[in-house]
Formats: sequence, C-alpha cells, structure tokens
Amino acid sequence: MSPATARQAMTIPPPDLQQTAAQPAPRHKVLIRNVDFYYGAFKALKNVTMPLHDRRVTAFIGPSGCGKSTLLRVLNRIYELYPGQRATGEVIVDSENILAPGLDLNLLRARIGMVFQKPTPFPMSIYDNIAFGVRLYESLSRHELDERVESALRRAALWEEVKDKLQQSGLSLSGGQQQRLCIARAVAVRPEILLLDEPASALDPISTQRIEELIAELKADYCIAIVTHNMQQAARTSDYTAFMYLGELIEFDETERIFTHPKEKHTEDYITGRFG
Amino acid sequence: MNVYARRRMANGVVMTLSVVATAFGVLWLVLVLWTLLENGIAAITPALFSQMTPPPGSAGGLLNAIFGSVMMTLVGTLIGTPTGIMAGTFLAEYSRGSRFGEVVRFINDILLSAPSIIVGLFVYELMVVPMAHFSAWAGAVALAIIVIPVVVRTTEDMLNLVPNSLREAASALGSPKWKVIVMVSYRAAIQGMVTGVMLAVARIAGETAPLLFTALNNQFWSTDLNAPMANLPVVIFQFAMSPYADWQTLAWGGALLITISVLILNISARALASWSTFKP
Amino acid sequence: MAAETAAVERVGASGRRGGVIGDVVFRSLTFLFALLVLLILGGVIVALIDGALPVFQTFGLSFFVTEVWNPVTEKFGALAPIYGTLVTSAIAMLVGIPVAFGVAIFITEICPLWLKRPLATMIELLAAIPSIIYGIWGLFVFAPFVQQYIEPAIIDTFGQIPGIGALFAGPPLGIGILTAGFILAIMVLPFISSIMRDVFETVPPMLKESAYGLGATRTEVVLRVVLPFTRIGVVGGIMLGLGRALGETMAVTFVIGNAHNISASILQPGTTISASLANEFTEAFSDLYRSSLIALGFILFVITFIVLAIAKLLLLRLQKQAGG
Repeated sequence: MSPATARQAMTIPPPDLQQTAAQPAPRHKVLIRNVDFYYGAFKALKNVTMPLHDRRVTAFIGPSGCGKSTLLRVLNRIYELYPGQRATGEVIVDSENILAPGLDLNLLRARIGMVFQKPTPFPMSIYDNIAFGVRLYESLSRHELDERVESALRRAALWEEVKDKLQQSGLSLSGGQQQRLCIARAVAVRPEILLLDEPASALDPISTQRIEELIAELKADYCIAIVTHNMQQAARTSDYTAFMYLGELIEFDETERIFTHPKEKHTEDYITGRFG
Repeated sequence: MNVYARRRMANGVVMTLSVVATAFGVLWLVLVLWTLLENGIAAITPALFSQMTPPPGSAGGLLNAIFGSVMMTLVGTLIGTPTGIMAGTFLAEYSRGSRFGEVVRFINDILLSAPSIIVGLFVYELMVVPMAHFSAWAGAVALAIIVIPVVVRTTEDMLNLVPNSLREAASALGSPKWKVIVMVSYRAAIQGMVTGVMLAVARIAGETAPLLFTALNNQFWSTDLNAPMANLPVVIFQFAMSPYADWQTLAWGGALLITISVLILNISARALASWSTFKP
Repeated sequence: MAAETAAVERVGASGRRGGVIGDVVFRSLTFLFALLVLLILGGVIVALIDGALPVFQTFGLSFFVTEVWNPVTEKFGALAPIYGTLVTSAIAMLVGIPVAFGVAIFITEICPLWLKRPLATMIELLAAIPSIIYGIWGLFVFAPFVQQYIEPAIIDTFGQIPGIGALFAGPPLGIGILTAGFILAIMVLPFISSIMRDVFETVPPMLKESAYGLGATRTEVVLRVVLPFTRIGVVGGIMLGLGRALGETMAVTFVIGNAHNISASILQPGTTISASLANEFTEAFSDLYRSSLIALGFILFVITFIVLAIAKLLLLRLQKQAGG
C-alpha cells in the first residue's frame, strides 16, 4: 500500500472487525504525517505517514537500519536527549501535534511509555522502580502507591514472583523478569500509548513467549507500537504492520494481509526471506 | 655466535632485567614499610593518643596533631567533595563536546598533578594574608583544592560508565533531567564515586606541603578552626628534622599512623572498586 | 475517554513538580562549580604573579641566573634551586624510566595471571605512600646507608675518572642531590609504570601475535611492536612522572641538604625550589625574602604547568588515535 492509499484506508474501517463486535471500533490514536528524521546531515526517515490505532498493536518491521527504531523514538521525542538529532513533520496524538516546538517533553513522556531492547531496571528496589515514574507526577498516599505498584506488577504478570521481595534490588531479577519489571514500570504511570523497542530480543524463548502474551493482554487498554526484527513475532502479536526500508514506509496494512498478500514486491521479498 | 643465539640471549637479558626491575620496585616498598614499622612501633603507646605534642626533650603524645589532621582532612573533604561532584557532573552530563568542557577537563587534570606546595602558596595569599593569621580553615581549604580535581575526575569517569539506556528509560517516564542524574545516574555510579572520594582522602591524609603555610602548627590542644592547628605531617616534619630523640620517636610514630591510615583507605577503595564490577 | 482526561488532569495539576526550574537550577549549579575549577587555576596564577612581582621589579631577569641567596643582604637568585630541581628530576627520570619500563613489561608480558593484580597493587602502593614518609625514611635510613656504602664506592670508582670524576667528588655525606634524585625515582616510577601498563594493554593482540608468528622473541615484540605502537602514551606517561618529580617537596626537603649553591658534584647538598619553600617560607623575615620565595614558586608552577600540559596533550592524542 503506498502512503497515499494508506491515508485512504484510515477512514475506512477494516472489514474483519464485524466479527469481533465486542471490541470498540479502532480509531487513530496517533497520526504520523510527513515525518523526516535527521541524524546530523543523514536523513534516516523519509516522509513517513501512517496511523497507529488505539487498542491495537502496530508492528514496525524491516531490515537493520531501515529506521523502525528511529520512528518509534520520534513518538516520545526521546531523541531530543541528543544534540544533532531532529525530526520534521507532524505527529498528531489525539489532535495535538507533539512535534510542535515549546511542548513540555516531560509531560509528553508521562503519557507515552517506552520499553527498551535491553532491560533497564534502575539501581533501586523493585518497589522503587515501579514507584519512580508515579512519584514524578502524582502525590499518592503510601497505601495508594502500594496499590498502584501491585496493579502494575499484576499487569506485567510479575506480581506473584516478586510480591515477597519488593524491597530487593531490581537488578537481582532474571533477564525476563527485569523486562517485565520495565513493562510494569511503564504501565504504572497509566500512559495512553506504549512503545516497545524489540522488547524480547535480549530474552530467552520462554520469556519471549510470556512477553508476547503480555502484549496481547495489554492491547485491551493501550495503543501499542512494537519494533521487531522477528517477523514471526510481528505476525503473532500485531494487528497492523508497517514494513520499512531505508527510511521509507514501503507498506502499511493489517498484519494478516501483509503476510499473506503483500501489495509491494519489496515487502514480499523481505517476508519470504529473500533479503534480511 | 649465530644470529639466532644472539637474539635469544638478548631476550633473556631483557626479560631478566624486567624481573629485576620489578623486584627492585617491590623491594623499596617492603623496605620503607618495614623500617617504618620497626621505628614507629616503639612510639605506639597509649600516651601517643592521650597526650599533646611535648616541648623538646620530654615525653608526650600526638593527640592534638591527630585531632588536627582528622579535623582538617574532614573539613577539606566536606568542602572539596560536593564541589568536585558538581563539576564532574557538569563534565559528564552537560558538556557533550563543548569547548568549555574540554578546557575544564584539561585544566582539572593539570591541577590533579600540580605541586601541592603551590596550592599552599595560593591559599596563603588567598586567606592567610588577608586574615593576617594562619588557621585551620586555610589548611582545610588547601586540602580541599587538592581533593577537588581527584573527585572531578572519578565522578566524570564513573558517570560516563552509566549506560545511556538507563538515562533514556528514566527520561521516557517523563523525568526531568536533574532527577535522572540525581536519582538514577548517581545511584548507578555511587560505588565508583565513593571509591574516588576515599582515594582523595587517602591523598590528603598524608599531605604536608599545603599545610606548611596555611594551618602551620600548634603546640597545644586547640579546636579553634580560626587559629593555627597542629597536624601530623607538619609535626613529623618539625620533630624528625630536630636532634631530639624523643621527638624523633614521636615522628616515627606519627609517620606509622599516617601510613597505616593511607594504606587502609587505599586498599579498601580498591577492594570496593573491584567488588562493584562483579555486581550482577 | 475517561482515562485520558484523568491523565491530563492529573498531569496538569501537579504540573511542574520540580521540572523545568529544577533543571535550570541544577544545570547552573554544576556549571558554576565547573567554572570554579578554572577559577582556581586562574587564582593560583594571579596570586603567584602578584606575590612575585616585587622580585622581578627589583632584580629583573638576573634573578634567574644569580646563584647568591643571602637573606641578610637581601640578594636573592633562583639559579641554585632551579638547578637542583632540574638535576634531581633528571636523575629521577634516568633511574625511574628504565625501572618503570621493566615493571610494565613484566606485568603485561611475563607475569602469571594470579600475580598480576597483587603485584600491580603493590607497585601502586608505592605511589600512595605520602611524600613525608619517604622523607623521614630517606633521612634516617637511606641517607646513612648511602653515606656508608654507596657513595664511597662511587667516589672510588667513577670519582677517579678524569673529567667526569668531578661529578662524583666526595666527601660522602649521604644527603645531597643524588640521594634526593634516587628517592624521587622510587616515587615517580609507579606513575610512569602505571601509564605504560595501560597503554601496553591497548596494543591489539593480533598485532603482537603476527610478530610472534614470525618467530620474534618477547623482547623483539616489545621493543619493535609494542613500544612503537604506544610511543605517544609512553612519552605522555614519562612527562607526567617528570611533572610529579619537579613538584615533589617533602621527600626532597629531608635529604637534599638545603644548601643554596651549585656544586659540580651530585654527591653534594643542594636545594630545589620546593625544598627552599618548605624550609624557609615561614621563617622569611622580610617582604623581599618572601617575595623571592613566591617567585621561586611561580617558576616551579610555570615549569610543571608546561610539562603537565604536554603530557596531557600527548595522552589526549593517544585517546583520539585509539578512537576513545
């Protein structure tokens, strides 16, 4: 699907939704519009336009260096930490352009959660890890905070494993547990959007499976964007897929359609493994 | 002798010489520590810790000097450490490739190895002359100036070791930059930073030159920071250079005390550093 | 959506909890303290020049070349201390560099793995021992030893050679330029050795392996591969050691003899800039006397600053070369 037809598709609800009538109709939580991205003089993203639907998982796939992680990082403007990196264009979140200058980035990032490739537990207790983000913007009583921590850990399917050792360091957990800790940390602040940058790539197959199950559950409440280099993972977990190559959005469609009847030859070549 | 045999002999000679050189280096360490122990142990009596520095020819202790050293080391560390941490934080977190940062780093490393007697002269002109008297404050400030470059260096190095992914994770939760630094980066780097402070303290614990014309010395017990204060290094200097046996014995005792403190601090700092690298 | 508006309200209400203001304040604070580092250096320069000015006004450039040091007649010259500083440091380098080199080779190339850490720590402890300890040890233990055994031997051998014999002329006093230089060598060797070790470790193993593969001996690999590869860092380390040797005070003060004159023989007493300062500053009874000492301090500062700056530049070049 070319970018122009992609925009068209956004206004037409996909047909298979009639089967899952219990789910609310998908709407755009995020609209990425004509976004370019530069690392210094190098143009890493070229005129990307696509939607992210609410309560759905959108996967970004593509070979190394295609810009999928770069695109993800535009969405919470985490690139602003580094001089020399900049984005142009628009990213509309609920009718507000978050690429606008003068926007409070900290408040923005409190609404958009991010989980990174490598688990990044803070050097503090499990409890404090989860509470860190919450304490930034809310003053909750001890009891309320305890509840928030517990609910976040439950959502991340980690509660049973750590409920008796909340005061232990976050670093004492296994890799898979640490990543679920990071997911719990991200959902504890009740964001609207979750960005997952190859969340399972550093984990063993069993932990990966649990993370994927988690994503399926979290989908009910969040707009999720996931970057993955694992096509099978994209096929398993996502509702929509964006295939990117060398900074351009080649095709965007429902996952099922992309993996069975891709419209672009390039997409087909990538999916069938002709290049990686 | 053919070429090959000559080369082998040359190799043997050089390798042997390097073993000799290493043994040479270790030998002096052992010699110094041994004679220190030998001569100083005689002075380690309860009196050392309970009596004041005596006039020549009589027995006494080093209590006022010990107190003075501890006091000025403490104050110097208290002044120098936060200063060094703040400056080191600037270099690591805010000065990405800036010219100003490069200059500060350069100057800091020069101050790190600068002669400590020059620091003493500087503080003399800065504080002793305007105040018209020597003081423990001046001594502490001189020690602080020696602490600062060490702490700046270790703070910057340790903060640079904190992976960016940790900072990003905190920023991604909406944390303002200063909280990212204070609540995440510092916590991650704390072990290394403490090691740096310990090494700085070990360094100033034995410094004499900066105290020579700032804190001077004091024969009597004094807790007044605004007056000259006794301290171990200057007392050792005075007593060792004198012809009095009593004084010389006390000098050895003081030397042993300083060396033990310095070695304990150094070895603990290294132990702490290597322990932290094995953290999972 | 309820969750959404709740989020916006929640975020809006607590708003800038220490956000923007905190960032500005913290950043300014760290900047100020970084500036302080520069100010300290600036202060040192200003204080020294200010204190030394009367001397240069009185004596002018002849201060640098006059040997006379007479507090009573108020005639001061820096030649003897400068000479002593330079010669003791030269001796320290002559003895210290080869030994440091030997230690570095041993630890990086020959030493069994289990011995590396403890041995390296021991050598580094040499640097941790305070200067005054070396001083007191030098005065009571080393100098008498040198006086009894080493110096007579030197006088009887090297001292007899016509020409350079004057360098080693007696009487054997124990204290003096040679002893001070030797103790300095022991004090600076851990610095030089530690930097040498660090740069030796940066040599890519493949480079060394290709030399070994051609049948080179260890010595040849070290001298023809490792050393050329690391020469910038090695020189940087040497300059750092030199900077330290030039500024050393207490160890030298105890064993140099504190004589404001230049003798041909290195077995005789002399003085260095730092030793003069340590010994005489608190006793200086006239303004010009004190000024002269500060002027000495200024000269020392300039010399060490230049040496340390060169060392730092070389080590920075090495970092850039290694892609650091």
